[in-house]
Amino acid sequence: MSKQRQIKENFIASIIDSADSIMVYIDSAGLVILSNKKIEEMIGSSRSEILGKHWFDVFSQKFDKPMKYQMLKAMIDDSMKYRRPNNFQSAMLDCQGSEHFISWNITPIFNESKNLDGVFLLGNDVTLFKEREASFKNIDDTLKNIFSSIKEYALYAINLDGNITYYGMGSEFLFGWPKDKIIFKPVSVLHNYDDVAYKLPFILEQTRKHGQYELETFLIKKDGQSFPVILTVSQLLDTGGNLTGFIFMAKDMTERKKMEYQIFQSEKLAAVGQLVAGIAHEINNPVFVISGRAQLLLSKKPLSKSLKSDLQAINNQADRIRKLVDRFLSFTRKMPPKPELLDINKVINNVLPFLVYHKLPEYSHHVKIKKSFDKKLPHILGDQHQLQEVFINLFINAYQAMHKGGFLTIKTEKLDDQFIGICISDTGSGISEQNMKNIFMPFFTTKRAGTGLGLSICYNIIKGHNGTIDIESELGKGTVFTIKLPFVKKERKNGK
Amino acid sequence: MANKVLVVDDEAPVAELFNDLLVKENCIVKSVGTGEDALKAIKEEDFDVVLLDIKLPGISGLEALKYIKDLKPNTTVIMITGFGYDEELIAKSKEYGCAGYIGKNMPISQIMSSFKLFTKAAKDKK
Repeated sequence: MSKQRQIKENFIASIIDSADSIMVYIDSAGLVILSNKKIEEMIGSSRSEILGKHWFDVFSQKFDKPMKYQMLKAMIDDSMKYRRPNNFQSAMLDCQGSEHFISWNITPIFNESKNLDGVFLLGNDVTLFKEREASFKNIDDTLKNIFSSIKEYALYAINLDGNITYYGMGSEFLFGWPKDKIIFKPVSVLHNYDDVAYKLPFILEQTRKHGQYELETFLIKKDGQSFPVILTVSQLLDTGGNLTGFIFMAKDMTERKKMEYQIFQSEKLAAVGQLVAGIAHEINNPVFVISGRAQLLLSKKPLSKSLKSDLQAINNQADRIRKLVDRFLSFTRKMPPKPELLDINKVINNVLPFLVYHKLPEYSHHVKIKKSFDKKLPHILGDQHQLQEVFINLFINAYQAMHKGGFLTIKTEKLDDQFIGICISDTGSGISEQNMKNIFMPFFTTKRAGTGLGLSICYNIIKGHNGTIDIESELGKGTVFTIKLPFVKKERKNGK
Repeated sequence: MANKVLVVDDEAPVAELFNDLLVKENCIVKSVGTGEDALKAIKEEDFDVVLLDIKLPGISGLEALKYIKDLKPNTTVIMITGFGYDEELIAKSKEYGCAGYIGKNMPISQIMSSFKLFTKAAKDKK
């Protein structure tokens, strides 16, 4: 061996050793002819321990896990048998027992007579890339989980023909349509037809112009019900930047709108109440003085006829204002009961349409009302407005407990020779034992927008009518309110 | 026997009207405009009845009621208000020991008959 050749070989050997890749040469019998530092460090053996041994034993000697190297063995065999290179990834263990992912490159090497001499193994440690890839996959999965748990969002896309090409994340839940029934259908299935005809072209044009467009609108569920959403529309571009369609992200605003409505209602009522109470007080004082003074003057004698009639006019008109204020006060629940003979069936019937069509339009679709009225129900002596308020409160509670739908059952009957019973039951969420204790307490509420006054007012009103109000409830099953009111016996009624 | 009445109302025309109405019923009437003045007057002399407005500047009518009942438990106190009928206020007033409740929204005749009724009932109790 010439000196020059020696230098050259040493140089090559040092390059091979300094490489950050595994380099192994094995002969056609599988014995290791050449190895570099990287593989020696990895398996924790010296060069002398490796050379001349079968590669399989070398790789699996520290940890007896031959299964790990089955893939490598198959590929080496393949390269030898079919004389072709192979590229693949497989796992191997280092001397500490840690797993590494190696990207292998196996090249068959031929001698001068073109027979197989051996194979060259070049292995790059790609563990870090693998881990990064895995973490990306993790993020993907997490994102998917997040999106699927946010039920009020739906993501779907259309192509330029207006057909649905993507229907994912929350869409099935929000719209109620299964994916296979909706894909490639026109988007008018999800939007209402007028919107598609008039609004959608405008929306898409704006999206084209600005890249994205956001608006509040309504979409249609499978059962035909429309629901409020915030819709964000974005362009769908291919890799060349050409417009291929539009992505829609819809945020369901049903709950939010409901809440806003309730807050609005209670704020309105509170504001009206305060205003009326304030006005009533301010008006009552001067009216009291006016009519009081008029009456004092009327009692003074002698009084001319014309003076008397003037004073009476003042008194009567002051009285008129007083009564008017009293009527306003009925809004603020600060009125003494004005008893009259009442048919409770009628009182309830008068309340129902008002409730369903004006107070709770967003609930009215889901809740079915079952009425079971005793047609011979005896009359009671009560204040119609106050009792109406009781029923409105109880019905609203029942409706609100059944936001997923259910049955509101209203039953009236003569219980015994003293009381009639009104039974109002819902199939809603029910009330926990803890909350039951405070149910009639003023300012106790479980609703976000509640004032906590409804049931305490009911309680006071029924008490003021010499009746009782009782509650039974089971979580998840529903709630039953039973009101007992004394009825007016026939003799008394006739005697009136 | 003539009743000695203290009228507590911050609105002078209202207090004056009560004064005239009660004088006509042969009562001896004194009137003040605040709860503080009412307490001062009650410390100085005995009244059979106190007509006490709920809405007062300074200490409220309800507070004044409590102090009056502490000072002179035998005094009959009747609450008056322009708010009309109010369950909560009635409950609180009764708890503090008022004899009755008069709304300025009632007709005058009813106010005076209520006054007589409460005063008589309180006297009968004693």
